Amino acid sequence: MASGIPASTDAILVADHILVRYETAEGPITAVDDMSFTVRPGEFLSVIGPSGCGKSTLFNVIGGLLSHHQGMVSVDGETISGPHKSIGMVFQEESTFPWRTVIDNVAFPLELVGMERGKRAERARYFINMVGLAGFENRYPGELSGGMRQRVSLARTLASEPKILLMDEPFAALDEQTRLLLGDKVLQIQQELKQTTLLITHNITEAVQMSDRILVMTYRPGKMKRIVDIDLPRPRTSEIVSGEAFGRYVAQIWSDLREEASRGMAEAESNALHHDSETP
Amino acid sequence: MTAAALPRRASETYLPQLVGLGSLVISLLIAEVIIRIGWISQYIVPPPSEIAGSFVRLFLEEHIVYRFFYTSGECLIAGVMITFFGIGIGVLMQRFKLLQQACETWVAALASAPFVLMYPLFMVIFGRNAWTIIMMGFVSALPPVILKTIEGISGTRKVLVNVGRSFNLTGTQQFWKILFPAALPTIFVGIRLGLIFALINIVGTEFLINFGGLGQLIEDLAERYDLAGTYAAICFVILVSVLFFMALEKAERWLRPVD
Amino acid sequence: MAETGRLIRAAAPAPLLSPVTLLRVAIILVLLAVWEFLAHSGWLYRDVVPSLLTIGHALYGLLSSSGYYFNLGVTAGEIGLALTIGGLSGLAVGLLLGVSPFLSKAYEPYLYYLGPTPKIIFFPIMIMWFGLGVESKIALGALSCFFPVVLSVAAGMRQIDRVLIRVGQSFRASPWQMIVKIYLPAMRHPVINGIRLGLGFALIGTLLAETKLSNKGIGFLIIQAYSVFDMPRMYAMLIVLFVLAIGANALVGRLGGLHSIKRT
Repeated sequence: MASGIPASTDAILVADHILVRYETAEGPITAVDDMSFTVRPGEFLSVIGPSGCGKSTLFNVIGGLLSHHQGMVSVDGETISGPHKSIGMVFQEESTFPWRTVIDNVAFPLELVGMERGKRAERARYFINMVGLAGFENRYPGELSGGMRQRVSLARTLASEPKILLMDEPFAALDEQTRLLLGDKVLQIQQELKQTTLLITHNITEAVQMSDRILVMTYRPGKMKRIVDIDLPRPRTSEIVSGEAFGRYVAQIWSDLREEASRGMAEAESNALHHDSETP
Repeated sequence: MTAAALPRRASETYLPQLVGLGSLVISLLIAEVIIRIGWISQYIVPPPSEIAGSFVRLFLEEHIVYRFFYTSGECLIAGVMITFFGIGIGVLMQRFKLLQQACETWVAALASAPFVLMYPLFMVIFGRNAWTIIMMGFVSALPPVILKTIEGISGTRKVLVNVGRSFNLTGTQQFWKILFPAALPTIFVGIRLGLIFALINIVGTEFLINFGGLGQLIEDLAERYDLAGTYAAICFVILVSVLFFMALEKAERWLRPVD
Repeated sequence: MAETGRLIRAAAPAPLLSPVTLLRVAIILVLLAVWEFLAHSGWLYRDVVPSLLTIGHALYGLLSSSGYYFNLGVTAGEIGLALTIGGLSGLAVGLLLGVSPFLSKAYEPYLYYLGPTPKIIFFPIMIMWFGLGVESKIALGALSCFFPVVLSVAAGMRQIDRVLIRVGQSFRASPWQMIVKIYLPAMRHPVINGIRLGLGFALIGTLLAETKLSNKGIGFLIIQAYSVFDMPRMYAMLIVLFVLAIGANALVGRLGGLHSIKRT
């Protein structure tokens, strides 16, 4: 079941002994504690953990937006030092540019590298179709729903054709049904493009639905607790959630997570008590 | 998810303020040297030390303290007038919805209108005296007070209004016991804005018509080619203005502790 | 895949001949009537309140004289330059302060507290530095204009949704690309407001300087009318000035607002 780190010869992303430590008013906090793992080309890897376990910190480290950490991340053998052109990020928060139309949003990365106008529009349309927003090219994000806006963000990142798609809880703000349908969409895209994907999430169903492997993190300081191979057949759709094998995987991961999540809750409660008793 | 703070950045200590202040002091020193050497003519910019020295003269010979009180008196009168008329008109406009709908945008447009350009007209009407100055301050400071009064009264939280209705308060009682007190913080913001506009326009008009307190002093010293004195007087006025602004901010914070 | 979206529609426009419009017209008519009454009453010194006809005459005379347009051009040019110089430097410094919390804490308080001070008192210094020509007027206008722009831009930078900056960084945008494609569009509202205020202050600063010491421009014309007690002409010029000032303000506001019809 739990396999160790697979043969690093065919890994496209290698995270090596990542350690992130902060200074806070209450003393040093270790957000990520010596994590190492690899991602194979075309693989869908989810990193799952309770709130506060440091998974968003990990997202920022791999995305190159966090520089003071120990350890190294490499893509195709090249160590990264800042955002890498082979890694595309999709953020958790609303990140579409409200002043640009859908097509201008999606074409943004193409604009940055100086692609000429006609080619940009064509490329952008391709990805807009892929996320199912054909016909909405000239709308502004303000006219769309939350789920549609996240699809625009996804299309924008895909348009830069990254080798690795890195997503931080992109569907966290959406309702369950929208999330399942969007999950289908992402699966479809991933399978079509053979896109290597690293998904950060706290949602077990989502992780099991979409992943080839799941990496379970402990509560802060975030360490690797377990790696689970998901042996569900591909191609998959959201219908898989009603299967028996699916349920077993979810239960297995929940039993790992519950322990960590309880630790998190207990610590939050003791912090609240501690602060209360300090106020005069 | 608890927000972990990043390692102590330089901007979180007192370092930035020290660097800011320090760099300004150093600039003054450099200016002093450059001017003394002669790279910049001291007939255009006097050395900072000479400007500082003129302050004594301003106090002893130019009656700057008296002038300060004169200007402050003008501001005070203008302030009382804008409070009375500004709140009064604002209350009236808020009371009569149609009036508000008709006139509010006019008042908003007037808030950015260049009233001070009418000073020659005011001189014709009131003469070259303190009333021109006070009226200039009054007219330019009135719109923000009116607008904020309307905003404050209209913006009273619905629940407070309902509390009044649940006690069967009459319209007048409702106004004096609930709407107006609830609107006071916002009204004070309006008065603060108004006072600032008033001070700026009053000092400016004093300078322009060469009458009054501090503004006139600057004009006077400039006409006499007293360079160091002119610079010193300008610094003094800026200082007064800054302190006035700070005092108003403190007063507003004191009046609005919960926010 | 099923469409999981809704579209938001714009509000319907208001009717034309409403009570509001009628009240506005009524107020204007009453004010004009009171004015005309005062003009003919003889209570006030002659010509302090000229009759509307006289003012109308002067207005016509003004707008049909080439001298007026020459001076208008001079003033407009001064204001334009003042706005450009003050606005661009305000934008640059504001971007710098917005980007760096360190610089902001070090220097912004000075700019914040210097903002609400009368700038016209700096005019003698401007004359000493730039001479008696248009340069000193432009300098004063630029000085007046700088402060509202720099403070609006610095504050606007800090209000930008942080995730939009991270999007730019994740796509490795260059600093210039970040400024032009992310920072500026994201803070178009504060920037437009800053420009409106800046325009207003540049206008006031430049004109006041003209009234004080100049031989060209609208400010000069106003003081000239004052010195010969040609009140109708002064009123005419003030009317034109106010219309232009309020109009320019509204225009800039519209230009900024036009971008946001479809925004959330």
